Amino acid sequence: MIDFPAFGAALNMLGGSLDAWIWVVPGLLIGLLFGALPGISVSMAMALVLPATLYMDFLPAIIFLTSVYTGAGFGGSIPAVLINIPGTSSAVATTFDGYPMAQKGLHNEALGAALVSSCIGVLISYVILFVLVQPLAEIVLRIGPYEMAAIGIWGLVLLGSIGGSSVTKGLFAAGIGVLCGTVGMNTAGYMRGDMGIPWLLDGVPTIPAMVGLLAASQLFALVNAKFIVADESKRTISLRRIIAGGGLVLGSPVALLRGSFIGVFIGAVPGVGSSIANLISYGEARRVSPDPESYGKGNPRGLIAAESANSSSEGGSMATMLALGIPGGGATAILLASFAMHNVIGGPRFMEQNRDIVYAIIISNFAQALILLLVGTAFVFVASTVVRLPLRYLIPSVLVMSTMGAFAIEGSIAGPITLFVFAVLGWLMSRYGFPVAAIVVGLLLGKLIETELLRAWQLAGGDPLYILEHPVAVGILVLMAVSLGLSLRRDIRRRRALKAASAVA
Amino acid sequence: MQTAILRRRIAWAPLALVTALAGIALAYLLEARGVSHDPQNLLLLQPTAWLVLGLWVFLAFGFLRMPVTEGEVRETPAEVLRILAMVGAFGLFILGLEAVGYDLSIWGFTLVALVIGGERKPLPLLLFPPLFMLGVVHGFRLLVPYPFPTSLL
Repeated sequence: MIDFPAFGAALNMLGGSLDAWIWVVPGLLIGLLFGALPGISVSMAMALVLPATLYMDFLPAIIFLTSVYTGAGFGGSIPAVLINIPGTSSAVATTFDGYPMAQKGLHNEALGAALVSSCIGVLISYVILFVLVQPLAEIVLRIGPYEMAAIGIWGLVLLGSIGGSSVTKGLFAAGIGVLCGTVGMNTAGYMRGDMGIPWLLDGVPTIPAMVGLLAASQLFALVNAKFIVADESKRTISLRRIIAGGGLVLGSPVALLRGSFIGVFIGAVPGVGSSIANLISYGEARRVSPDPESYGKGNPRGLIAAESANSSSEGGSMATMLALGIPGGGATAILLASFAMHNVIGGPRFMEQNRDIVYAIIISNFAQALILLLVGTAFVFVASTVVRLPLRYLIPSVLVMSTMGAFAIEGSIAGPITLFVFAVLGWLMSRYGFPVAAIVVGLLLGKLIETELLRAWQLAGGDPLYILEHPVAVGILVLMAVSLGLSLRRDIRRRRALKAASAVA
Repeated sequence: MQTAILRRRIAWAPLALVTALAGIALAYLLEARGVSHDPQNLLLLQPTAWLVLGLWVFLAFGFLRMPVTEGEVRETPAEVLRILAMVGAFGLFILGLEAVGYDLSIWGFTLVALVIGGERKPLPLLLFPPLFMLGVVHGFRLLVPYPFPTSLL
């Protein structure tokens, strides 16, 4: 599986070229900065630096872009932890436990844990890519609409009752999210719920809605507070505690490895990407945990699961791009554009003829993950000062920046209007105990599930039993049902045990 | 630890919220059914809308008999008013973006939000909003390829 002569050539190529290395730190810093700005996505950050790569050689250009990719992958988690805004859609699940940790004054630990999870996630994903690039790509080719719909349903069911005290409220919120996700024209050409507004034909703008639901609603609720962290003694910024947060990751190897594997596999599926990986990994960690109630209240394992998955999805999507020439999402599409700018065509032939360059990209990414550990620590140290800013300044600043980010994504007033509507909805729902995260998950997965179900329906000619010809999809659904049944049985046993214990007391 | 239930009451605000959302879900379902009854139109939308309406029954029943527990902390009317003022100011800011320009809107909203947040010192009120507006407008002009209307800059 590993081509050792090509590997040696890759080492020589990297060892003999200073150009290949000097762009790593600037790339990581640009990625961190843009990823941390709400509304600026990983792909937007890469698109902004793409023209600069035109005058570089091919390998330094790709290394520069992958450095931005790696930096932005972690950058999105900084505002997710500090102000409950997922800097990118891949950091939604990072907010679930990251922000509660920050509110408890554990912002240093949360950021340290997020950073180390991201770095190890990237490392693991590229190790898997290094060994299994070809077989992984072949598996991806077998994934069709049935399997994609099954993955989407898996995510939705796992997260239906996220963070909420009541399953009914969680399901209601998820249902509202799914309905919002179906607004506009579906792939069969039917227009629903657009209310005659032209920009709703493409559906509800997802990122502005998500930022409104998660962040702006939270900021409204904080209007009467003075600081994000109420206790002054806990507002310290400590390198020692950031490093201690990194140590938490090493103490949770199962959450880390599970998140990384989920991230690689889901990241490799074109069109699914890191945002779904982030959510599914979090949901899985919560489901198998002996203490699921602690999730959403600042459990570091939730943060580790979410961050390792969104970072490791980078390696997965790179596998699909390098082996098949198929971009899994916006970021890999920009990498392919850079290939084209240098007259290189990605895909199986590139992989066969330039295995040394493929290995050089992979080795460089190992180095990027390690350098990110240092650069990211310094960045996190500076970014943590947010907890010391008075909320009377932070609230208008973040609301304005989010609004401008929403405008930047949509290119019109549609972004800010969506942000406002969903901010009010999110504030009202969280005020009355509905888990806002469930609406976000519904919104993200609703569109994916509908599109894939429709494709499956069209392929089957309306025959639901046609699914039996897709054993992988059936396997995912059976596994989901079995694991849900086991979780339910465990919950019932635990409740009985608690009841018995309180009766004895 | 179990909290003691003192009495039960009707929770009007959450009841109104879920009823409004269920109403919107029903209106959406009827509109979608008006477009077409084809399963390709209603495959996910219809079962989800029915699920939301079914859950509304459970939730509404719960909100009609909401328990009032011991030690329940509620915001004071002044605190609620301050949140509503911020929501209103943010709404006006969004409305003003295209009407008066992004620059003036940002300036005005930042100033009002600082006052709502409790800032009373004249110097920060005078300096922070225009400086912040300058930074945001120029920063986003560099980053964003789309033009946005401004009055002053």
